[in-house]
Amino acid sequence: MEKVLEVKDLSKQYTKVLAADKVSFDIGKGEIFALIGPNGAGKTTTIRMISTLLTPTDGDAIVNGHSVLKDPEKVRQSITYLPDEAGAYKNMTGKKYLRFMAGLFSTDIDTINGYVERAEKMCGLGERLNDKIGSYSRGMIRKLLLSRAVMTKPALAILDEPTSGLDVLNAIEIRKMIKKLAAEEGMSFLISSHNMLEIEFVSDRVGIISKGHLHVTGTADELKTRYNAANLEEVFERVVNGNEVL
Amino acid sequence: MKFFNLLKKELAELLNVQTIVSLVVAMSLLMVMGNVMTDTIEEAVKQEYTVTICDRDNTNFTEDMMETLKGYGAKINEVTDSSEDYATLLENTGKENLVIIPEGFSEAIEKGEAPEIISIARMKSAAMMSNMTNTNSGAESLINKAVSDVFAQKAGLSAEDVALINNSIKIEAHTVISDKSAEVSSSMIMSKVMMQNMILPVIVFVLIMMTSQGLMSGISNEKIDKTLETLLSAPVSRTAILGSKMLAATIVAMLQAVLFMVGFSSMMSGATENVTADISSTMTEIMPVEQAMEQLGLSLGIGDYILVGIQLFLTIMICLCLSLVLGSLVNDAKQTQTMIMPLMFGAMIPYMISMLADINSIPIAVRIFVYAIPFTHTFSAIPNLMFGNMIIFYIGLVYQIVIFVVCMFLALRLFKSDKILTASLNFGQKSKYKKSAKKQAE
Repeated sequence: MEKVLEVKDLSKQYTKVLAADKVSFDIGKGEIFALIGPNGAGKTTTIRMISTLLTPTDGDAIVNGHSVLKDPEKVRQSITYLPDEAGAYKNMTGKKYLRFMAGLFSTDIDTINGYVERAEKMCGLGERLNDKIGSYSRGMIRKLLLSRAVMTKPALAILDEPTSGLDVLNAIEIRKMIKKLAAEEGMSFLISSHNMLEIEFVSDRVGIISKGHLHVTGTADELKTRYNAANLEEVFERVVNGNEVL
Repeated sequence: MKFFNLLKKELAELLNVQTIVSLVVAMSLLMVMGNVMTDTIEEAVKQEYTVTICDRDNTNFTEDMMETLKGYGAKINEVTDSSEDYATLLENTGKENLVIIPEGFSEAIEKGEAPEIISIARMKSAAMMSNMTNTNSGAESLINKAVSDVFAQKAGLSAEDVALINNSIKIEAHTVISDKSAEVSSSMIMSKVMMQNMILPVIVFVLIMMTSQGLMSGISNEKIDKTLETLLSAPVSRTAILGSKMLAATIVAMLQAVLFMVGFSSMMSGATENVTADISSTMTEIMPVEQAMEQLGLSLGIGDYILVGIQLFLTIMICLCLSLVLGSLVNDAKQTQTMIMPLMFGAMIPYMISMLADINSIPIAVRIFVYAIPFTHTFSAIPNLMFGNMIIFYIGLVYQIVIFVVCMFLALRLFKSDKILTASLNFGQKSKYKKSAKKQAE
C-alpha cells in the first residue's frame, strides 16, 4: 500500500517533560488511522509535529514524500488540520470563511471556487452559510470546520476529536463522511478521539499512546483478539493501565 | 496573492463595524467639541464688550457715563428692577450677569470718593468654559476707565496723562531661544507652543492604547479559538502570517492617527483660534506670534514633520511587536487586560510627564528611566525639534530603531518557533499544556 504518512521515531522534549518518545507508525493511502490515549498522553503533541506546528526534538515524519523537518511548507500543501475545540472567525460569514481558507491553499480562482462549492455541499449548512459564524451553534461550527478540512482533498486530513460537540445524528453523519472520503476519494485520515465506539466504527487501524509511548498499533479486531477483550475500550484500559492479558 | 488574502482577513478583523463606528463617533465628538468651544469663546469675546447695567442712581452723570461707555465701543443693555434679592433680579431681567449702579454713585464721585458698583453674575457649574460668558470683567474695567477719566479731568489731567499713569512703563519683551531672539513676550510663545504640543502626545497615547488593545485581542483570540493553529498548518509561511497581521494593524493605526489628528486639530483650533486672534488684534505693535515663532526657529518645516512621522511610525511598530509578543502569552480573554498593562504604563508615564514638565529638565536618574521607555521619544519629538535639541532627538530616533529591530526580531523568532503555541504567562499557575504533561509524567 502506498504510504501517505511515515512517522519515524518522532520525539518531543519540553523543558522537563518528554511529551512524545520515539513514536513510529504509518498511514496508507485511503486509510483511517486513529490515535487514542488518555489526556496528556502525547496525542496532540504528535499530531502537532506532523502538522508542522511543533518542531520535533528527534525523529522525522514524512508526509506524501516530504519531511516535516526539511520541507514543512510542502507538507502543509498535502495536509489539513482540524484542532480539537477549534473556533472560527466570528465576524466572518461561513461562506467568507471557506473562501478565505481556500485562498490559502490555492491562488487560482476556479480552484478556490471549486473548493468552496465542495465545502458548501458537504457541510449542509445551506443558507446559514451567509450568516456570521458568531451566530452558529457549536455543532454548526464543527461541521463548517470539517468541511473546510476536507474541501481541498488533502492527501492527509488530521482531525483532532472530529465529532466533539456534535449530537449523535451529526456525529454519525460525520463518521460516514470520513469513511466515504477515504473509500471513494482515497483521502487518508489521522484522527484522535476519546470515543471508542467512534474509533471502532470509523478507523482501519488504531494506535494506543500513553506517557508519550506508542504502545501498540493494529486493527480493532486484531487488538481485541490480542488483548482478549470484548471491545476497544477494554483494550485501551489494559494497555494504558499496563494490565495486559497476553 | 495568499498574503493579500491574509491581509484582507486581518483588515476585516481589525476594521469591523464596531471599530469604524467608534472611530467616526470619536472624530465627530472631537469636531463637535471644537465647534462648542468656538461658539463659547466667540460668545465670551462678544460678551466682553456687552455691558448690562441696572442704573439705580439715575443721574445725569450716570447717563453721561453710559454714553462714554458707548464711546469705548461697548454695547449697553439697560435694565430696570428694584429687587434686592439678586437671584430674583437676574430672573426678572432675564440676564445671567449685570452691574448695578447703586444710589449715591454720582454723589461719591462728586465728593472725590471711590464710588461703589455691585457686580452680579450667575455661576452654573465649575467647568472651565461654562462661566466664560457670565462674567462682568469687561463691564467692570470699562466703568473703571470711565470713572478714572472723570477723576483725571477733575484733577486737571489730560487723556495722555491718564494713559501715562496707567501704563507708566513700556515693556519691550524679547524672547530668546538658543541663539535666536524675537520681539515677543515669552508667555505668548508659551501659549502658542503649548497648543501645538498638546495634540501629538494625545494622539500617540490614544494610538498606543488602541493598537495594542486591537492586536493583542486579535492574537490572543486566535490562540484561544485555535484559529492560529489552523492558520499555521495552512500552506503559507509564518512570515506572511505575521507580516499580514503587522501590516493590517499598521494600516488601521495610521488611519486612526490621521482621523484623530483631524479631530484633535479641529477641537484645538476651535478652542484657540479666537483667543489668538483677539490677542493679536489688541497687540498690533508687537510682532505677530507666527512671525516671532518663525524668527525663533520654533516653526516646524515639512522635514521636521517627516521626522516626527517616522518616530510616530516607529512607536506604532514597537507597540505592535510588543503587543504580538504579549498577546501570544495570553491563555484567556481576562489575561489580555492584564497583559496590556506594561504598554499602558509605557505610554502613560511619558504622556503625563510631557504634559506637566520638560523631560530634559527633570532629574537625571528619572530622565534616564523615562527616556528608556521607547515611546517617550515620540512624546518629546516636537519640543526637541522646536527647541533645537537635535542630539537628543536623533539619539531617540536611533534608540527607537534599535528597539524596533529587537522587538521585531523577538516577534519573528516567537512566531517562527514552537513558543507561539506553547508559551504562556500564568502568574504562578502552570499552563494547561504543562499541567497535563506534568500530571501525565507523574
